[in-house]
Amino acid sequence: MNARLVVTPNLCTGCRTCELACSFTHMVDGKPGKSRIYPIDGGFKDLWVPVVCLQCEDPACMKACLVNAITRNEETGAMVLDNDRCVLCMACVAACPFGCTLPDEVNALVVKCDLCDGDPVCAHFCPTKALQYKTIISTERRSA
Amino acid sequence: MVNLTINGRVVRAEEGEMLLNVIKRQGINIPATCHHDAVEPYGACRLCTVEITKETWQGWKNYVTSCLYPVEEGLIVNTHSPEVVELRKTILDLLLARSPNARLIQEMAAEYGITHTSFEEIADGDDCILCGLCTRVCDALGFCAISSVNRGHGREIAPPLWEAPPDCVGCLACAQVCPTDFIEYTDKGTERTIWGKKFELLVCEQTGRPTITHEFAKYLSRNRDIPEEYFKLNDVSHRKELALTMGKITHWGREE
Amino acid sequence: MVIEPDGLFYTKVKPKDVSEIIEKTLEKDEIIDRLLYTDPVSCEKEKNYNKIPFYSRQKRIALRNLGKIRPNKIDDYIAGGGYQALARVLTEMSPEEVIKVISKSGLRGRGGGGFQAGRKWQTCRNIESDVHYVICNGDEGDPGAFMDRAIMEGDPHSVLEGIMIAAYAIGAREGYIYVREEYPLAIIHLQKAIDNCEDVGMLGDSILGTEFSFRIRIARGAGAFVCGESSALMKSVAGEVGEPRAKYIRSVVKGFYDKPTVLNNVETFANVPAIISNGADWFKKIGTSKSTGTKAFSLVGKVRNTGLIEVPMGITLREIIYDIGGGILDDRPFKAVQTGGPSGGCLPESKLDLPVDFDTLTEAGSMMGSGGMIVMDDKTCMVDVAKYFLSFLVKESCGKCVPCREGLYQLHALAVKISEGRATEGDLDKMEKLSEVIVRGSLCGLGKSGPNPFLSTVRYFRDEYLAHIRDKRCPAGVCRELIHYEINDKCTGCMACITACAYDAISGKKNELHVIYQDKCTKCGACVAVCNYEAIDVT
Repeated sequence: MNARLVVTPNLCTGCRTCELACSFTHMVDGKPGKSRIYPIDGGFKDLWVPVVCLQCEDPACMKACLVNAITRNEETGAMVLDNDRCVLCMACVAACPFGCTLPDEVNALVVKCDLCDGDPVCAHFCPTKALQYKTIISTERRSA
Repeated sequence: MVNLTINGRVVRAEEGEMLLNVIKRQGINIPATCHHDAVEPYGACRLCTVEITKETWQGWKNYVTSCLYPVEEGLIVNTHSPEVVELRKTILDLLLARSPNARLIQEMAAEYGITHTSFEEIADGDDCILCGLCTRVCDALGFCAISSVNRGHGREIAPPLWEAPPDCVGCLACAQVCPTDFIEYTDKGTERTIWGKKFELLVCEQTGRPTITHEFAKYLSRNRDIPEEYFKLNDVSHRKELALTMGKITHWGREE
Repeated sequence: MVIEPDGLFYTKVKPKDVSEIIEKTLEKDEIIDRLLYTDPVSCEKEKNYNKIPFYSRQKRIALRNLGKIRPNKIDDYIAGGGYQALARVLTEMSPEEVIKVISKSGLRGRGGGGFQAGRKWQTCRNIESDVHYVICNGDEGDPGAFMDRAIMEGDPHSVLEGIMIAAYAIGAREGYIYVREEYPLAIIHLQKAIDNCEDVGMLGDSILGTEFSFRIRIARGAGAFVCGESSALMKSVAGEVGEPRAKYIRSVVKGFYDKPTVLNNVETFANVPAIISNGADWFKKIGTSKSTGTKAFSLVGKVRNTGLIEVPMGITLREIIYDIGGGILDDRPFKAVQTGGPSGGCLPESKLDLPVDFDTLTEAGSMMGSGGMIVMDDKTCMVDVAKYFLSFLVKESCGKCVPCREGLYQLHALAVKISEGRATEGDLDKMEKLSEVIVRGSLCGLGKSGPNPFLSTVRYFRDEYLAHIRDKRCPAGVCRELIHYEINDKCTGCMACITACAYDAISGKKNELHVIYQDKCTKCGACVAVCNYEAIDVT
């Protein structure tokens, strides 16, 4: 589980290809689902930050979930939300300090990035390599 | 791992797994209204009943609710035998007599060729099919604010003494899991009403949009160790904040 | 009352008779003729208790001490040989040996299911667990049944002794007796019995100086019929809502607090000390090969002698009703006997020679149940009977699963439709089909046996259903919508019925034939009750 979705805001052009890719990967009943990744204005000229779940070490979403619907996938390290278990109490949505568990009002779901089971599609489609899924040797600190 | 046969196909399943999970994994569609992964199987709607037998049973068959029946080696399962289909039809027919306007029941019944109930419609029927999901989910969340009251045909779901439930935190999970959307609630501005109890919603400091109730936030910070300041913003503002922070760091990096 | 050692039997003794009995019978050995029992058939007086068919045909094991000892005196029980079986078990027998004796005796659970008690105990003992529980089911909910009540009220120690023996056999240290709140006296007597036992060291730590420690607590049920079902009962004892759960894992394996639990009924436990004392072979000789021992029934309904009886298994229904019960009241023809409580069934005359045991009754479409036995004569409408029992079950269904909650409701609604003459023959088919689904689809025993009142009556009395449906007629003259009252020419014009009618539906002058206005008549039957001349026809 050394691979990480590495985000490099410097390279992001805000083209939102990742958003599209994510949406089409996570289809709901044959329709595009809610994207789990959003390039957001970083506050400076031509600066975009692709905001996506940080897969925290001590995740608030998991702590907040009262029915244990959010668990870590030990292979990918991703925090995965089991929609069959979720009871839509919105505790995780309110608890995530980065706003990366999102309510999908259209389909009545709560969604979050699950790293596409170890092969994030957004990284494949990012034209500028602002999103890369790669192995990192040094273990960086992750915290909530 | 155990081997069993479902509709003539040999499948493998984990020991201790319930039949319904395995059947669903095979892409076989059988109705079930009282099943939810978040709570223990309950076996109330009986719609997921299947026919089981074993070679050693000498032709004896049994009908069991697949949501509650753990897989067994050598089990032969038929999910759509004539008897099972008849059973489902009758149950849906009965449910339709109780809840003629419930969309879910209408749809399920239509799938089994029933558009109108053949029984007398119940005078005081409503959309509640008494699957018990709301109360069980409420129990699983740890609030136990509502429960089933009375028995038999007079059974209903209600808060204690039909008064505003003191233990309810207004998370709406009960209404969200209700398969027939029977549980009513209103969100007006920052005021939420459910089970006759009024709640004040927290408001995102930036967007002014309501998030969760004060009571729920207090519960989460107290019992689940979530810092209270996390609840000051909604998810949109949180993302924006993250982008700005990251932006600042990146910008410094550029200047250097 | 019985005066021993002669077995002199007086009936209907009132307090004022006591002085006379002491004066005449006890001091002078005279017999008081007017207090003797009169046989309802032969009209002869009988002085010996053992010669009265009601008693002579019975064999009392579970009810052995009833009426003979004071229930709240432990000394009485011990004096009658009580707690000797327990002493023997604790000092001479290993748990395995106890189970072997019970298994060999063939004792089957008396609560209705008829599961082999010995096998149940063995299964429970074999499961490794830190705790085992034993629970006694005293939630006797069947209308008209009072066997367990009589035992708990009249001989609580035999139940306690049976529970303790079971606990020793399975390795339990804690036990519960679940008694319904409607039996306050049973609760008082049981509590008193438990307190007495604790005082003399029969309950608590190291009982009778052995290593066996055991405690019993009483759990009171709030009176829901469904709480007699094992899994619902365990939930109720644990303080939860009494709802059954699916038993694909049996409660012997995962019962009370998910621990291995033996649950037997009061009568079963009451049999245990007798079996230990007298041996398995003695018990096996009584009854039939597959159903050994005796069974207590509460014989009620239209028979001359009603009450609590205990008979050897294999006795025929005819013997019970005509010999012990003394035949049908007013010598009316017998119509049916309802056994097994609300979920049991009605058996007709053709089944009267059936030996009463677990298997034959089930085959005939009824069941042993806990032992209610209601005798019906020709004035009973079978549709009405089915309707009554269905309405009971509709009310007592816990409402958890759909087939039972909605299915029984609709079945009852259809039965009402038949009794009101609004039904078609299609409705009867529909009821049969629906019953099949309820039996197959319900979660617990209540639902699975719920349609029995209908199924057994329609099996044996289909003609009566068809009379209601086709001819819109109730042959027994019970179903209000299908009957009407008419005055025939036997009327003497006594005006008794006019006075009795609360709805001014009868008019007439003294010594003239009276007339009933059908539009005003509510068919309450008050006129029939007061008429001395059989002048009112119900058709």
